[in-house]
Amino acid sequence: MDKSIFLIGLNHRSAGVNVREKFALTNVADFEKSLLAACPLREVMALSTCNRVEILVVADNDRCEGVDLPEAVLRHWAETCGGQVDALRTHTYRHVSMDAVTHLFCVAASLDSMVMGEPQILGQLKSSYRKAVETGTARVIINRLLHKSFSVAKRVRTETAIASSAVSISYAAVELAKKIFGELAGKTAMLVGAGEMAELAATHLLASGIEKLYITNRTYSRAQELAKTMHGEAILFESMVDQLRDVDIVISSTGSPTAIIRAKDIREVLKKRRNRAMFFIDIAVPRDIDPDVNALDNVYLYDIDDLKEVVEENMSARQGEAVKARAIVEVEAQAFATWLKALALQPTITDLLKRAEDVAERELAKTLKRLGDVDDETREALEVLVSSVSRKLLHEPICFLKRRTREEGTAERFIDMTRRIFNLDADAVIEDAHLDRRTVDDEAIDCECCRDEDTSPARDKTEMN
Amino acid sequence: MILPELLPILVIALYFLGTVLFVVGSALRNDRLKNSALVLGALGFALHSLDLVHIMTGADATPGLTAGRFLFCLLGWGMLLIFLLLWWRLKLKFLAVVAMPLALMLYITANATVGVNAKLPPMLSGLFFFLHIGTLFASMALLAMAFGAGLAFLHLEKRIKTKAGLKQFQKDMPSLDTFDRVNHFVALCGFPLYTLGLASGYVWAWLAARRVFSLDPKELLALAVLVLYAYLFHQRLAMGWRGRKPAVMAICVFLLTVISMLGVNFLVPTTFHGFKP
Repeated sequence: MDKSIFLIGLNHRSAGVNVREKFALTNVADFEKSLLAACPLREVMALSTCNRVEILVVADNDRCEGVDLPEAVLRHWAETCGGQVDALRTHTYRHVSMDAVTHLFCVAASLDSMVMGEPQILGQLKSSYRKAVETGTARVIINRLLHKSFSVAKRVRTETAIASSAVSISYAAVELAKKIFGELAGKTAMLVGAGEMAELAATHLLASGIEKLYITNRTYSRAQELAKTMHGEAILFESMVDQLRDVDIVISSTGSPTAIIRAKDIREVLKKRRNRAMFFIDIAVPRDIDPDVNALDNVYLYDIDDLKEVVEENMSARQGEAVKARAIVEVEAQAFATWLKALALQPTITDLLKRAEDVAERELAKTLKRLGDVDDETREALEVLVSSVSRKLLHEPICFLKRRTREEGTAERFIDMTRRIFNLDADAVIEDAHLDRRTVDDEAIDCECCRDEDTSPARDKTEMN
Repeated sequence: MILPELLPILVIALYFLGTVLFVVGSALRNDRLKNSALVLGALGFALHSLDLVHIMTGADATPGLTAGRFLFCLLGWGMLLIFLLLWWRLKLKFLAVVAMPLALMLYITANATVGVNAKLPPMLSGLFFFLHIGTLFASMALLAMAFGAGLAFLHLEKRIKTKAGLKQFQKDMPSLDTFDRVNHFVALCGFPLYTLGLASGYVWAWLAARRVFSLDPKELLALAVLVLYAYLFHQRLAMGWRGRKPAVMAICVFLLTVISMLGVNFLVPTTFHGFKP
């Protein structure tokens, strides 16, 4: 029953882009199937994105004695991609058993990403896992490992500030706008000029609830074009300053060699808008907005360098949060190790009997309390009754498990199932777990007979494979 | 009765725990801690109200109303009342960090000034008492909120303006606009209250002593506060002041009222307002 988990992979740190594109897995499902056929493995899951390839493998120790499994996997990988094994070997890392688990948790929690804390990797991991389940190469251990890694990612996200601050220029601008105005709903923005970054910032502002977006450009037709795609309103470049009285946020990105918005204009604008705050984002180089504008009360001006600095600071803040995140990963990896150890026949039988004994004892105590004074004979009879009912009830399931253990490849599936049916690992299962997989909308999941407050039965956690 | 004896200790403990919990909750970015802090504060407020009722309806009610203990008690209660109102109306939870410590300080001061009595003029009636003291205390409580919001505004504005970067706790702070809204609310409601309080004081003085001005430092300071408050009110509502200037102004006005409340009452001999043991 001894299993080994290991993980082979490469990422943006270990390999350059030319190596990454050479060894990217274009068809993950085929790779998983062929790897399972080529090597004596139990479970396989592969993840391939532009920044990394991770191959997670679970094998039986007794089936692969004398075989260098990591090497075999590496060879198969190189063959699939049509590359040299030696070239691949120098750029890959290998993690074995708990190191592999920790590494996977780090990847899921985006601690290993190029932009630490970015949310995409979790989505990519989820879709890879779904594919592996569909292909049938992910079973009990990978199921559990991946589900755990998703919950670790969620914990890291909610308990640390790793993803709380913007690490792109356009997000940093939106974040600052929120710090100045609070809610952006009902605010108005103006996009002066065009450019990828400026348009991105405007898009983020619109997504954050900006009510109206004016667009102006020296070439009016270009402004009209952009207005159409971004659902804004095009205005003439000449009337830009007049329009500013209604505008709270200005994003400027023109090719003008001199400043197009000057402090004295803004002073007039401020009077007209009764000093309501204004936020200027100047992405252009050379700058479009006179730096003196920042000296005016209730006006805030950030140019591209200021925003870059904000982004860099946020990046280093994320590094600090990563320490907390790694502590969470360690704790969860330990919990996984405990589960893995219990995924054997003997510990499961022990846990089952103990669970039954606990329930019997509790119910007996309740009944004795209700009965009041009883003589020793009755008490003994009751004790024998509850313990034999609970043991006899478990006799058949235990025999069933023992029979399955003698068969090849089915034991841990049933052991896992048993552990989940009786919730031997005391997992907290949320009410709406696997809502998408329910076919019948039955509200009465709670059993009417015997739910105790201190037990949380595993409900509706259906098997994936 | 045991309750009145235990009440002050309970109120102090609740306010103290509430303050500490709120600060810790803010530092750890834990909403649950912050909410429990507010629950503790509200519980303290309820007991505080009970204490006030007890003083007012107790056997020694009349001297009670002029006692330093009652007055400070009332001021602290007003602080929390205004905070709870602002929390309810404008959802400004962060003001707890100003309101709870102030209420705690005032309540402790109240209990330290047992035996201290204001020398009250004759013809003190319930109506005048609440017109004068109730309104002034309410406007002081409002000013305290504007003081806290003003300091926070100046701090955050400086960080944003100088591009010094925002630390985690500054990122958790409400927006500049929120702080400015507190200032607006205080100017709007606080100034009429303060004017009413002062005017009723002068009418009271006239009825009591047949003269409006006794030229004592308290009255002069109060007039100075009124002028500054009026300036703030006017600039904010008529001239459209926003942001830094009204924040600085509110801080100054609050500090002046504190000087006039504590400094003058305890240190300088005045006609009506001195606290003498």
